[in-house]
Amino acid sequence: MLEPMVKVEIVGHRSRLDATLACLQRCACVQLLDAAAEPALGLTPSSADEGELGESARLRQLRTRIDALIALGFVPPAPDGQAMTATELEDVSTEIEELAPKVEPLVAIIDALEAELNTLPRHVESLRRLAPLVPKLPELESYETVALLVQRRHAAVIGWLRDELVALLGSQFDVITDQVDPDTVGAVFVFPHEQSRRVHALLAGQQVSRVRLPDEYRTMSLGSAIASMETRIVDLPGEIEAARAELVELLGFRTHLHPARALIDRRLAQLDALRNIGTTERAFAVIGWAPRRDLDELANALQREVGTEVLLTELDTVENEQPPVLLTNPAVARPFELFLGMLALPRYGTFDPTVLMALFMPFFFGLMLGDIAYGLIVLALSFWARRRWGPRSEVAADLTRVIGIGAVWAVIWGVVFGEVFGDLGHRVVGLEPLWIDRQEAIGPLLLFAVGIGAAHVILGLLLGLWSAARTADRHKFGERAALLVALCALFTIAGVAAERLPTGLMTPSVVVVVVALVVMISLQWPLGLVMGPLDLIGAVSNVLSYLRIAAIGLASVFLARVANELGAAAPLALGLIIAALFHVLNLALGTFSPTIQALRLHYVEFFDKFYEPGGELFSPFGVAVATEPEVAAPSRVLVEA
Amino acid sequence: METGLLGIGAGIAVGLAAIGTGLAQARIGSAGIGAMAEKPEMIGRVILMVAIPETLVILGFAVASMIIFILGA
Repeated sequence: MLEPMVKVEIVGHRSRLDATLACLQRCACVQLLDAAAEPALGLTPSSADEGELGESARLRQLRTRIDALIALGFVPPAPDGQAMTATELEDVSTEIEELAPKVEPLVAIIDALEAELNTLPRHVESLRRLAPLVPKLPELESYETVALLVQRRHAAVIGWLRDELVALLGSQFDVITDQVDPDTVGAVFVFPHEQSRRVHALLAGQQVSRVRLPDEYRTMSLGSAIASMETRIVDLPGEIEAARAELVELLGFRTHLHPARALIDRRLAQLDALRNIGTTERAFAVIGWAPRRDLDELANALQREVGTEVLLTELDTVENEQPPVLLTNPAVARPFELFLGMLALPRYGTFDPTVLMALFMPFFFGLMLGDIAYGLIVLALSFWARRRWGPRSEVAADLTRVIGIGAVWAVIWGVVFGEVFGDLGHRVVGLEPLWIDRQEAIGPLLLFAVGIGAAHVILGLLLGLWSAARTADRHKFGERAALLVALCALFTIAGVAAERLPTGLMTPSVVVVVVALVVMISLQWPLGLVMGPLDLIGAVSNVLSYLRIAAIGLASVFLARVANELGAAAPLALGLIIAALFHVLNLALGTFSPTIQALRLHYVEFFDKFYEPGGELFSPFGVAVATEPEVAAPSRVLVEA
Repeated sequence: METGLLGIGAGIAVGLAAIGTGLAQARIGSAGIGAMAEKPEMIGRVILMVAIPETLVILGFAVASMIIFILGA
C-alpha cells in the first residue's frame, strides 16, 4: 500500500537551524522541499555563508584524504557502535595532517617494489635468452651494445637493420645473431659510444621500442645481471612485507576513520540541505513531505532535541501537488516492490498492487514450471544465491526471494500435475497426478488458463472501477464498468456456445454486449467509434493471453519428456548424460521464461486496467548518502591533498 | 487424411504467428537494448515492450488449439 503523506512546515529561531537539521537527519522521515519556492511564505533561500562554504570545502578535502587512507586496505572495519563527535573530528583532521607524510613514502616504496617485482622476471627471461649470444660484452670498453629479440617470422628485420647501420656507420660496428629459441632470433649490435645517438635515432625512427635495464644492472655482465636480478626477486617480497607491516602499524588501529567519514557525510548533507531552507532575518522555515505515521514521533523528537523554539505544523496541499510515494507492504510482499520500480511507481493516491503481485506472480510461475524436482532444484538454487549474493545486493536478495516463493508453487503444482522431471516420476515410481496430467488433458489445461486470465482481468477491472470511484472520475468509471459488463456477457455467450450454460441466456447476453458497447462508444465519442470496439477486443485478447501459462507449461513438460525418451533410448551412462543435459536446459528455460511471462501478464494484461504510474520515490533527508571510498590511486590523492 | 490436414493447419497457425512475433521482437529488442544502454532504468519498460508481440503467437496457439480440439473432435 501507499503510505499517506502530509506536507509539514517546521519554523523556528535561526539559532536553532543546525540543531533542527541534525534532528531531521537523525529521524530521516522528511523529504525537503524548496521553502523559498513556496509563494505563500515569502521567504528568501538560505544561502551558505562564507564560514559554511569554507567548512564544506574543508570537510570534502578531509573526506578525500580519509578515503585515500581507507582505500589502502589497512584500516579495519569499525566495531559496532563506534561513533564520533564534531570535536573529535577536528582531532582527526590534525591526525591526518601528521599521518600523511609517514604513509605517503611507505606507499610509494611499496608501489616501486611491486613494480620492480613485476618487471624483473621479464628482464631475467630476456637476458637468459641473450646470454649464450654475448657472454662477455661489457669487457668491450668504449663500445655500446643494443640487443634485439625478434620473432622468427620477422627475422628479416635484423638484416634490414644491418644494412641501415652499414650505410650509417660503415664498418664501425658488429652484429651477432643467432636463434635463441624455436620462435625467437636474437641479435646484438656492438658500436662505439660516440655513435650511440645516431644508432638510437635510427632505431627510434623505425619504431623499435627499447626496454631499458634498471641502472644498477647496466654495467654488469649478463651473467652477473641475471644472478643479481634473481637474488633481488627472492628478496623483494620480504621488503614489500616489511613496508606493509609498517603501514599496518600506522593504520591498523585507526578504526575511528570510518565513523569520522560517516560524520563528514552527515554534516555535508546538512550543509547541502541549507539550499532548501527558507529564512527571514531571525527565523527559518523547513518545508517537506513526511509520512503521517511518523508525524508524532517527529514532533516529539524536535521538542526533545531542539526545544520549544521550533514548531511543527501540517500544511494544506495545493491542488495538483503530487506527494512522493512510499510503499509499505508486508515483509513477504516487499521483494515484489522491485518489479514496480522496474516499471514505474504508482502515482500517489492510487492503488499499489504489490501485494496482489506477491500473490499472483509466484502462482503463475509455479503453474508454468509445475514440476516437483524442478521446483526443489530452483528452491535450493535460490537459497544458495541468496546466501551468496543477498548480503551484497538488495536486488539479488529480492529476486532470489521471489524465485524461491515461485519454486514453492512449482512444487505444489508439480504434485497437482504428478510431475517429477516431466514423466520420469510416473515411469519410475508410478506417480499419479492429483488433478490432471498436463500431457494428456490439454483441453482442460487451456480452459483453466483462460479461466485464470478471466479472473485476473476482471479483478484488474474491479480495481480500476474502485480507483476511478476514489478519484471521482465518472468518465473512467463508466468506461471500465461498461467494459466489465461486456466482458462478463461475452463469457456467458461463450458458456452458452460450449453448452455449459442454458441457451436462454444467449439473447440477453448479446443485448448486454451491444448496450455496453454503445455506452463505451458514447463515453469516448467520436473516438469511441473506433476505441470502444478496440477496448473490448483488447480485453478479450488480454484474457486469451493467459493461455501462455498453459503453453509454456506444456513446452516445459514435453521438453522434459523428450529428455527422458532420449535418455532411455541410449546406453545407461550416455543416456544419463543426455537426459541430464536436456533437463538442465529445460530447467534454465523453465525458470527464465515463466518469470518473464508472469511479469508480462502483470505489466500488460493486469496493470492496464487500473494502474496509474508516475509516482516519485520518497527520499527523506538523512538517509545514508552513498559515497563509497574512492579506491583509485590512493597515494596520489594523499600527495595532492 | 483429414486429421493430417488439421495438423498442418494448426502448425501453420502457430508457425506464422511465431514468425510474426519473432520479427516484431527482433526490432523492438534491438531498439530496447539501445535504449537500455542509455538508460538502464528502462529495463521494466523494455521487457514490457519486447513481451507485447508475444500475444500474436499466443493467439496463434489458441487458433491451433481450436483447430485440433474443436474441429478435430
